[in-house]
Amino acid sequence: MQPFIHIDIASAEEVIPLLDARTRPLAGGTDMLPLMKEGIVAPERLINLKRATNLRYIRVADDGLHIGALTTLDDLERHPDVRRDYTALAQASALAASPQLRNMATIGGNILQQVRCWYYRGDFHCWLKGGDLCHARDGRNEYHAIVEQSPCVAVYPSDPPAALIALDARLRIIGPQGERLVSVAEFLQPPTAQRRSLHGLGPNELIIEVHVPKSAAPAQRSIYLKAMDRATWAYALVSVAVTAEVAADVLRNVRIVVGAVANTPMRATTAEALIEGQSLTEELIREAGRAAVADAAPLEHNGYKLPLTRNLVGQALRDLRGSSS
Amino acid sequence: MIEHGPQKTAIMLDVNGLTQYVEIEPRRTLLDTLRIDLGLTGAKLVCNMGNCGACTVLVDGVAVYSCLTLAIECEGKRITTIEGLSEEGSLHPLQQAFVQHDALQCGFCTPGQVLAAHALLERNPQPTEAEVVEGMSGNLCRCGAYRGIVEAVLTAAKEQAVTSKPGSGKTA
Amino acid sequence: MPKVIKTTINVEGRVSEKFAIVEGVELPPWGENEELGIVGYPTPRIDGAARVSGEARYTYDVQLNGMVYARMVRAKAVSAMIGRVDVAKAKAVRGVLEIMTPENAPEIKMGSDQTHLLSSEVRFAGQPIAVVVALDPYVAADAAALIEVHYEERPFVADPEAALAEDAVKVQANKPNNLLNGKPRIKERGDIQAGFAEAEVVAEVRVTTPTALHNAFETHGCVAHWEGDQLTIYESTQHAFGVREFAAKKLELPLSKVRAVGTYMGGGFGAKFPGNAYTIIAATLAKRLRRPVHLMYDREGENLEAGNRGRTIQRVKLGAKRDGTLTAIEYNGISEGGAAMSWIPMLEGPASMMYRCPNFRSETTGVLTNLGPMAAFRAPGFVEGMVGLEAAMDELAAKVDMDPLELRRKNIPDTDQLDDKPFSSFPVAECYRRGAAAIGWERRNQRDQATAAQSNGRYRRGIGMSSQIWWGGGGPPAYAEMLLNSDGTATVMTGTQDLGTGTRTILAQVAAEELGLPLEHVNVTVGDTLQGPFGPGSGGSITTGSMTPAVRSAANDLRNNLCDIVAQMRDVPQEEIEIRGGVIYRRDEELASVKDVMGKLGDVMLTGTGSRGPNPDDVSVVTSGVQFAEVEVDTVTGQVKVLKIVAAHDSGRIMNPQTFNSQIYGGIIQGLGLALTEQRVVDTGRGAVLNPNLEFYKVPTVADVPEIENILIDIPDVKANSTGAKGAGEPGIIPTAAAIANAVANALGVRIADLPITPGRVLEALERESS
Ligand SMILES: Cc1cc2nc3c(=O)[nH]c(=O)nc-3n(C[C@H](O)[C@H](O)[C@H](O)COP(=O)(O)OP(=O)(O)OC[C@H]3O[C@@H](n4cnc5c(N)ncnc54)[C@H](O)[C@@H]3O)c2cc1C
Ligand code: SF4
Ligand code: FES
Ligand code: FES
Repeated sequence: MQPFIHIDIASAEEVIPLLDARTRPLAGGTDMLPLMKEGIVAPERLINLKRATNLRYIRVADDGLHIGALTTLDDLERHPDVRRDYTALAQASALAASPQLRNMATIGGNILQQVRCWYYRGDFHCWLKGGDLCHARDGRNEYHAIVEQSPCVAVYPSDPPAALIALDARLRIIGPQGERLVSVAEFLQPPTAQRRSLHGLGPNELIIEVHVPKSAAPAQRSIYLKAMDRATWAYALVSVAVTAEVAADVLRNVRIVVGAVANTPMRATTAEALIEGQSLTEELIREAGRAAVADAAPLEHNGYKLPLTRNLVGQALRDLRGSSS
Repeated sequence: MIEHGPQKTAIMLDVNGLTQYVEIEPRRTLLDTLRIDLGLTGAKLVCNMGNCGACTVLVDGVAVYSCLTLAIECEGKRITTIEGLSEEGSLHPLQQAFVQHDALQCGFCTPGQVLAAHALLERNPQPTEAEVVEGMSGNLCRCGAYRGIVEAVLTAAKEQAVTSKPGSGKTA
Repeated sequence: MPKVIKTTINVEGRVSEKFAIVEGVELPPWGENEELGIVGYPTPRIDGAARVSGEARYTYDVQLNGMVYARMVRAKAVSAMIGRVDVAKAKAVRGVLEIMTPENAPEIKMGSDQTHLLSSEVRFAGQPIAVVVALDPYVAADAAALIEVHYEERPFVADPEAALAEDAVKVQANKPNNLLNGKPRIKERGDIQAGFAEAEVVAEVRVTTPTALHNAFETHGCVAHWEGDQLTIYESTQHAFGVREFAAKKLELPLSKVRAVGTYMGGGFGAKFPGNAYTIIAATLAKRLRRPVHLMYDREGENLEAGNRGRTIQRVKLGAKRDGTLTAIEYNGISEGGAAMSWIPMLEGPASMMYRCPNFRSETTGVLTNLGPMAAFRAPGFVEGMVGLEAAMDELAAKVDMDPLELRRKNIPDTDQLDDKPFSSFPVAECYRRGAAAIGWERRNQRDQATAAQSNGRYRRGIGMSSQIWWGGGGPPAYAEMLLNSDGTATVMTGTQDLGTGTRTILAQVAAEELGLPLEHVNVTVGDTLQGPFGPGSGGSITTGSMTPAVRSAANDLRNNLCDIVAQMRDVPQEEIEIRGGVIYRRDEELASVKDVMGKLGDVMLTGTGSRGPNPDDVSVVTSGVQFAEVEVDTVTGQVKVLKIVAAHDSGRIMNPQTFNSQIYGGIIQGLGLALTEQRVVDTGRGAVLNPNLEFYKVPTVADVPEIENILIDIPDVKANSTGAKGAGEPGIIPTAAAIANAVANALGVRIADLPITPGRVLEALERESS
């Protein structure tokens, strides 16, 4: 790890003038420090956000949930209102990483987590790091994408953002030009030749809040399912977040988001349309599962993600249907 | 705005109730500071990447991985290491439960396990078995002492090993 | 009077005849129904407090005045000759004291064809090529990153099957091919062709097992410290005396000048035997710099270089009569050895020993690849080989339409088929009986009929089993000394080591039992060559069977000395003296406490010495057992959940049920990892290990662990040695993966032949089933 200058600030506003490509914010550090230890990033200055006490909060308001960027995953997982009204977010937080990591990891940092591709994290100067070649394509890709979005086939690794997209959440971002509001769905983007990262945060911008709008419908429910190759403490093989208004076996305003199958969490819009307002039969569930992977093209080692995605989408719908009471 | 580094800088740390003075670079992890600079080698370095839990310590009572924590950010916080749990040579009841249930083999993961258990019981004094499993799932044990660990934590909960001693240990 | 004896030693299937010195009289073994007061009772570890309090000092924790930190620089190339190594920039970093490269490495022969401490020939990515020493580990890492290595890269082979091809690139240029010893190891008995001709049914399977990484929590490494011409090496080792011998030999020092210390170590699992270059590197650097040198591997280095259980590809073919009687076993196994391999794990062990079969043939091949070298890993060969054998047995059971357990019962061997000797004790039938009852085995066969009916549900359950056979009787040479202090406390001193297995505790129990002291009055020092006589390496599950008789013999010697003194002091006949609970009796009349007697003598010590006697010639000493696994397969996620494992193992007398359980649990959990989650992932095209970490090399978490019921068989093996105890370190892992794989096959109705049984593999199998 390169030596760096460590800067403490007291509020988010102080940060913006300091930020640039070599001066990066540090939140929980659970991704930043591993990346620095591996020499993948080497900022010269780190700005510690943790003393900015005005960034760690969960506020329940009329227009929904306001989550300060420094809120930890543990805070989210335990908050009674989040658990009740934004269940998928609480579940996704609880299923991420380990208890200690959730004590440390912030939602802001989580949204910005770098890919976990083992070439990227290893000694390979791959495409996403600015090189010419994606090593995973012809190498080992069991954890990689089944839907191609860019020359890189790494999957977006974080759990909570898939839930946030299903819940239609937005980010409040501040920068030199002031504040902007952007949906999580738009914020997370496949990398491009010019922008080799999975999101659209500018070098001198800061996420300060996540806002989850309150659903008008009291029957809105949500769920997050995550498949892992160990009982716990593993990145998702595939995950699914679904929100819907549930009345008996009918789902309305359905949003299905599939994680760990592409550079970004993916909306399964065809599947959503199929079941919208329909009585949810087993046959329809299976059809929705198939629709969710209609565009998928697995790589050499990740063919299993097709049935897994189908199954998990189906299971999430089944579980939601069963949750109406 | 306070700026430190990149060279060594002097900081004070509250470790197990004692004030410690160290001169460290900002990049130094809490784990290395404890082990190398303060000689508190109870917390173990196993993966250095947040993958194992052997470096678990309590910062303001919260269990964290000290390999992913910068020491410089711990100024003004209460740090509890395994060395701070036993008092004057007598084991904390939680540690006793670990010994009684053979919740260890090589013992290399054990200090981290004990502190994770401590944090768990402080937050949830009467956990179910499932809650213990969940709460201890951030600490790997390669020797596979898991059954004993779960039993030890459940026993300690029953005996109120953690909660019945507020203010005791240097941890509460 | 010391006696020289010749004895047969068996470590993990490698048998050798050795001379050993035996001292003292051979004690009659504790009988099957011997009334013991301390041995055999659940006893918390005597070093538990040190380990839970952070006080236990492991090698990693050693800190000495003036100590400096060494860091290995590892090859990025897979196969190459190292050209220039540019260290100028690294040397310029403040705080860097020394850099060793192939150019300035001392000429000390390592391995079969390495002439210098650091080789200039790279055979796998991760091989140490330079060492940086600095005042601080961060500085060492900074400098290491600045070293520029120029490689002349060569072609490589990183796939074991490709490495077998005639025209494959050679891993070791001086060898005819990539096979260890140039050819497979062939073993035969009877007439294999006749055996198959006689067979009415033939079953055949092909299975593979993955490369498993030990991932002991403490990495490999040592701290070297010179005081004058006296060298102390602290090393995380399974054999302290071996470290001493190795260091003395390589550094051309008298043994008397070298001390090796490994009092606490954070797991070994087979990979931490001496013979590693780092020991000599650290000692050399410490001498050059006149400062203690701390050289511990990091996790990545550990996983790239420090050993693994090699991947296997196995074919097993069984021939049997319709009634299940085996007539022929043909075993064919390939074991990947990586870039250096000195022996082939005994993959064929289970097939050749577990079931009675007169006609047997095996071909076992060790194949080199340009990847990190293999090392012994907890029951090497047997864990893997059992997966193949037990898969074949289940297939055979289906073909002859027999209960799989019944099939195994039918073929219980009556002798050790490797040497035709009868077993000293072989209660495997008892293990089957009790294990089957505990798991409810009869449900498995009922389920077979019900499978079709329930196959639409989300979860599918299955039960499977596997037998176990292994050695573990130990043998000489193994020595112990005892001191009785003036306050009546005693110290056991021996150079063996406690890897976390509970050795200290059972040695204390044995000493207390034999001497008649309360357990709290006995302390044990292990893992220090200056604080006790020779103890064997802790591998092959031999520590208990070797050391407990040695300690018993030392305690007995000490007891005799004490009785002698009491007899003189109190003028009573020696034969009438008894010592119980720290009190000395003449028959039932209390004479004095040990403490009082010793106190009267002033601050002196009484001593006793003892050794392990020879092994019996006429019997074969093995451990045996069985495990049953019940699993639940989630057809939605493909995840396999192990619900329960029942284990029943014969390890002779169980010295301490508590630590015995822990050993078995630990083995089971590692076996579960091999079955379901653990595998080294290699990009063979790039020669790269992609998961040399604990993130993507997935060892089981607490949430992966099932209910485990370990049935204590506890039949003292009175012919094996004077305590009747055998090892338990390895038996527990041998059947687990095989039993889980069989349970999954039972649940799914199809076999997943490649381990680990990941969700991906389960889902693929289910896809095949539904299409
Ligand atoms: C072993 C391990 C397992 C894990 N498993 C999972 C898992 O299963 N699921 C999962 O979702 N995650 C997992 N994680 C990832 C973990 O959740 C993230 O590392 C964490 O959420 C990042 O948050 P942080 O506060 O620690 O971020 P940091 O590491 O501090 O920062 C991460 C990045 O975000 C930037 N940043 C942080 N906050 C802001 C802000 N407010 N505005 C702008 N930039 C900011 C930093 O500059 C940095 O680039 C795992 C991590 C580890 C180490
Ligand atoms: S998948 Fe992306 S991160 Fe991984 S090697 Fe390819 S380009 Fe790099
Ligand atoms: S050493 Fe910190 S989590 Fe492993
Ligand atoms: S006791 Fe050895 S790693 Fe847990």
